Amino acid sequence: MKKLLSLALALILVLSLGTVAFADGATKADPTEGIEPAELTGEKLVVWTLADDLVDFGARYQAATGVEMEVVVIAPEDYPTKVQTALVGGETEPDIIVGEPQMLGDMFSYGAFADLDALGAEDYADQIVDYVWAVGKDPEGVQRAISYQITPAGIYYRRDIAEKVFGTDDPDEIGKHFADYSTILETAQTLKDAGYRIFSSDSEIGFFAGLEPWVVDGKLNLAQARLDYMDLVVALYQGDLTAYANQWSTPWYQAMSGPVPILTADIQNYADDSVNVWDAEAFAEQTADMQQTEVFAFGLPSWGVLTLRDNVGETSGLWGVCAGPEYGMSGGTFIGISELSEKKELAWDFVKFCTLNEDTAEWWITFSEGDTVSMKSVLEAHKDDENPVYGNQKLYAFWQKQAEGIDYSKVTQYDKIIGDAWGAAISAVKTGVSTKEDAIEEFYDTVAYTYPEIEIER
Amino acid sequence: MVGYRIKKGLLYAFLVLLAAACLFPFLLMMVNATRSGVEITRGFTLIPGSSLKDNMTQVFNYFNPFLGIRNSIIVAVPATLLCAYFSTLTAYGLGFYKFHGNKFIFFMILMFMMIPGQLSLIGFYNLCSKLHLVNSYIPLIVPSIASAGTVFFLRQYIISSMPPALIEAARMEGASEFYIFNRIVLPISKPAVATMGIMAFIGNWNNYLLPMILITKNEKMTLPVMMATLRSSTDIQRNQGAIYLAVAISVIPILLVFACFSKYIISSVTAGAVKE
Repeated sequence: MKKLLSLALALILVLSLGTVAFADGATKADPTEGIEPAELTGEKLVVWTLADDLVDFGARYQAATGVEMEVVVIAPEDYPTKVQTALVGGETEPDIIVGEPQMLGDMFSYGAFADLDALGAEDYADQIVDYVWAVGKDPEGVQRAISYQITPAGIYYRRDIAEKVFGTDDPDEIGKHFADYSTILETAQTLKDAGYRIFSSDSEIGFFAGLEPWVVDGKLNLAQARLDYMDLVVALYQGDLTAYANQWSTPWYQAMSGPVPILTADIQNYADDSVNVWDAEAFAEQTADMQQTEVFAFGLPSWGVLTLRDNVGETSGLWGVCAGPEYGMSGGTFIGISELSEKKELAWDFVKFCTLNEDTAEWWITFSEGDTVSMKSVLEAHKDDENPVYGNQKLYAFWQKQAEGIDYSKVTQYDKIIGDAWGAAISAVKTGVSTKEDAIEEFYDTVAYTYPEIEIER
Repeated sequence: MVGYRIKKGLLYAFLVLLAAACLFPFLLMMVNATRSGVEITRGFTLIPGSSLKDNMTQVFNYFNPFLGIRNSIIVAVPATLLCAYFSTLTAYGLGFYKFHGNKFIFFMILMFMMIPGQLSLIGFYNLCSKLHLVNSYIPLIVPSIASAGTVFFLRQYIISSMPPALIEAARMEGASEFYIFNRIVLPISKPAVATMGIMAFIGNWNNYLLPMILITKNEKMTLPVMMATLRSSTDIQRNQGAIYLAVAISVIPILLVFACFSKYIISSVTAGAVKE
């Protein structure tokens, strides 16, 4: 019986796959479009990447120059392990390696990236958005990686709701309602009184919470701004001001396209499991009697432009983007050269092609359908582009302005772990699991045993 | 009689429920393989979607799953056979020969079961790179000869199910030690070897960490490493359907192996019950 069953399962799988295996679906756009493919020169570069973008960059570079490109894609969560094992083991094969901002600190510390200044990177310093240039510098100020994109954060809001509640949908005016944490609380209350909710989840301001560095001169810095952020999240949660959805869950996505039921705190943290927040149909049924509301805003980096575009449905065109309480950023792929590469000159040419070439940046905007590039001149050229999903707002100009404000000196290599620990402390306080004092003590403990080298003043 | 029927009915209802719970994730996987990323993040349903073709194209945009299956078979089949044969050999040696240090060796094997392989990763990579074995399948296949867990299990099985008289009889007939192992010990331990073989096959098939570290050529990657590249999309939503589809493809060989060897597993489970 078991044998029959598993054979049948396998057979169904094979058959159902077989019927479509060789049928043609929508194929990917051709990254070499507009280029006459060059003859192969016999030279070769090997790229190890965690972002599939570089597959397209590689194909385009090969077509343009005739250098054979071998692009190996590795799952992002394993990428640091793979590169570190290989480079510490003396591997000379990857010529190009990449990293996301939070990985770069570690990668610099074991000497993964080659010195780009020695290859002439200094001359390009003013062509790239400043914060991106700063992220790619190691602690000694040597340029080691450059990104082709910028990822500043913004508040995405519903223009129609803004018009009704605040009498204007102008991004500058709406930005004033998000100017600081106490104003956000007032805005949240105003929206609630008008029958809306300010955010879907209480984590939307997270991208703007990096006002102070976590570590200063080897000492943990729990600044007042961090405590204020904790108070804000707790107030949003306990004051019933959000729709109690978790980021990236079903109702969170649904709130992008229209009315959603107002959940309770218990549903959000799964104490009440009468509503299945991960299943659209069950969710609709179980929440049919609940009061409905519409969510006003989402806080996301510039790549959120694409997330919203895919999920807004009928509210397309009704969105706008304004500045948050602080400047913030998250993500971005930084390209550099492996210290052990034997073809550094050629590799530098590829890095320049991806990050410092106006034609490539222009092509990337079209090919990626709206990614935000890091070359100042190209952002400048697109500053009047209007995006129809966002009420014809000129988003490139907006992101460029947001990126100008980012102060990357506040970012440390400890941010990810310490930030997560702080997030856990905030959750504990907002759900009433522990008091503020206990949660902060526990946060200190977590940091102390993760990073014994950091001094902590309790 | 009525009570018995009710009892039986309840029992069957319970078993059907258990079976459904076991099969549900499979069904969900197959259904999700036909849906788009946006649909999947919106929630689940059992009604198949219409994106199978798109997901297939997306998978093929990243890699050729049939090449991945081929590579995985090249690694998993020899590794499983080597593991099964040499583990049985070791287990028989430890179980049936009395020699100095027998206990000590067995104790060492138990010790090695406790050490996670990830610890020696950088050292292992260094070794392979010095031996020019990076991008080769040899470091993925040969070490499976020494699988502590399998030896441990098989030793217990052989000691409990192998009549020593049988081996003595064979010796008296003049059979060589190796002949005895191949012709008597191996066939008798077949159920246990098949069980451990399936475990080893699944382990090798799903092995991710080592091939991820050691294989750096796209065309040599095993299926799990290829599948992981789907997670590198900038847009986390887009590839969800393709990931489910790739997982669905990757379980086919495991189902086939299970179908071929399941009768041995069952006989090994029942073998324990009728002994003595």
